[in-house]
Amino acid sequence: MAGPQDRHPSAQSQRGLDWFIFFLADVQTGFGPFVAVYLTTQKWTQSEIGLILSIGGIVGLIGQMPGGAIIDAARSERLVAGLAVATIGVSALAYAAWPIFPVVALAAILHAAASCVLGPVIAAISLGLVGPRAIGERLGRNARFASLGNGVAAGVMGVVGYLLSSRAVFVVSFAFAVATLLALARIRDREIDPEQAHGAVARTEPDPDATSVLHLLHRRPLVVFACTVFLLQFANAAMLPLMAGIVTERSSEGAPALIALCIIVPQAIVALISPSVGRKAQAWGRRPLLMIAFAALAVRGALFATVHDPSLLVAVQVLDGITAAVFGVMIPLIVADVAFGSGHFNLAQGVIGTATGIGASLSTVVAGTMSDHFGHGFAFMGLAAAALSGLLVVLTFMPETRLAEEP
Amino acid sequence: MSRKGSTNAVLLVAAVVFAATHVMADDAGQPQADPAPVNPPAAAKPSTEPTTPPPSITVIGPADAHSVLGREVRSTSGQNMGRIVDVIVDRAGAVRAAVIDFGGFLGVGSRKIVVDWNALRFGKVKGASDSISLELTQDQVKAAPEYKEGAPVVVLGASGTLQPLNLGP
Repeated sequence: MAGPQDRHPSAQSQRGLDWFIFFLADVQTGFGPFVAVYLTTQKWTQSEIGLILSIGGIVGLIGQMPGGAIIDAARSERLVAGLAVATIGVSALAYAAWPIFPVVALAAILHAAASCVLGPVIAAISLGLVGPRAIGERLGRNARFASLGNGVAAGVMGVVGYLLSSRAVFVVSFAFAVATLLALARIRDREIDPEQAHGAVARTEPDPDATSVLHLLHRRPLVVFACTVFLLQFANAAMLPLMAGIVTERSSEGAPALIALCIIVPQAIVALISPSVGRKAQAWGRRPLLMIAFAALAVRGALFATVHDPSLLVAVQVLDGITAAVFGVMIPLIVADVAFGSGHFNLAQGVIGTATGIGASLSTVVAGTMSDHFGHGFAFMGLAAAALSGLLVVLTFMPETRLAEEP
Repeated sequence: MSRKGSTNAVLLVAAVVFAATHVMADDAGQPQADPAPVNPPAAAKPSTEPTTPPPSITVIGPADAHSVLGREVRSTSGQNMGRIVDVIVDRAGAVRAAVIDFGGFLGVGSRKIVVDWNALRFGKVKGASDSISLELTQDQVKAAPEYKEGAPVVVLGASGTLQPLNLGP
């Protein structure tokens, strides 16, 4: 049956999407850790920097669901993506040109809001291009290019920040935003089916039950998966920063290089294995992969609590790569499984994005408190326990969401 | 009664401000502006109120003093020790220590540590991008406890030993 769901987008569009994702990861890397470093060099106090980061974090959290809803309502995913990238490019220039509070606060808000749209829009464009049958493989490819982009950006911006200045990093981010827009222009807009990108199916008669937002939000797999993602982030988000702090404490000379390796190794693993994760998700189903990801995370927490040799910690980061690769592909894939047919694919992505944000922010707070009061080992064990409970949630509550193969 | 008193106080303040503006205008050598007094009754007896003296002005040459926030710190052998993110003073107003954001990669894994102000050397600081020297090495500061607002501050001295900050009498 060759319906509208079996689509064959052109190689040009597929490659355009590859590079769009690659350069977008570059743009976003510039906004991560560099903001704090840059504002410090601009004589900002720590409380002002903390305030800017909190503003961005809060907007990034509450904007997830509206961001998804905007994409669901849009007729051209490409136009939405282009506007969001342009907004981020302008924010980058604003950071570089006027590091004064009102400008930076506005730029942080705009960047966070645009990011709320850009996260889901990649999956939406992918779904609109290739349809639900080929989405697993496409998402694997997406994750590969995103992590290649992250790795390249960390390298380029690290060098730029070291040789020039941390202000130059934001000019480079702007240049990457221009490249992102050029790549986006290579994707042919008419090959993105907007209905399909919203997770809607063509129906002969309207089905108000299947397309109701409330029904979607009460759908059990979505709720269970939101809890799963929350537990993942809760267990995962604080692990690398906590571990990097310990590396700084234990080894001084090579510490920055070791921390750089701890960031790059997982990216390399993601780039290597994501495409096979996408294929295995179709062959094995989603649940076994989710369980592997949580098991890897729990083992990693336990190893961080017990291993003390800094160079062995880098090896443990391979497990981070496994968890990141699985969830990088699984999050949009399972949401597509659950929300397909509802027409609210991107709103559902926003729901999961909100759970991600809450989990990540709680993680750093709770792990930091545990580490202060009971020591690093206890904190890592606590995070590992959260990962184990995530494994149990998948084992007992999470249904298999893979769409049945068509005969 | 009290209402009338407060009105008088407002008038007196207005007069003082008026007088001070005049002094500054004279100092600047500007021609007298239209003097039209707003409150002649109050302005009639300014001698009973102390007049605010003009602020004293000190001029420091651009090569003699610099701001320290966000400035890079290096060890005497040139190791990168991070950047100054805060300065700690005691209740007498004396500068006791500097908070340095130390280590890490791209901001990940950095630790805020506190070093004795006397361990810092500012002789090389002539321009905006010159670094401050610290008489400590990376190995000496790496294990220092992290600085936290409200907790006791552990200051690293140049001798390399940990000692608590003594706030004095």
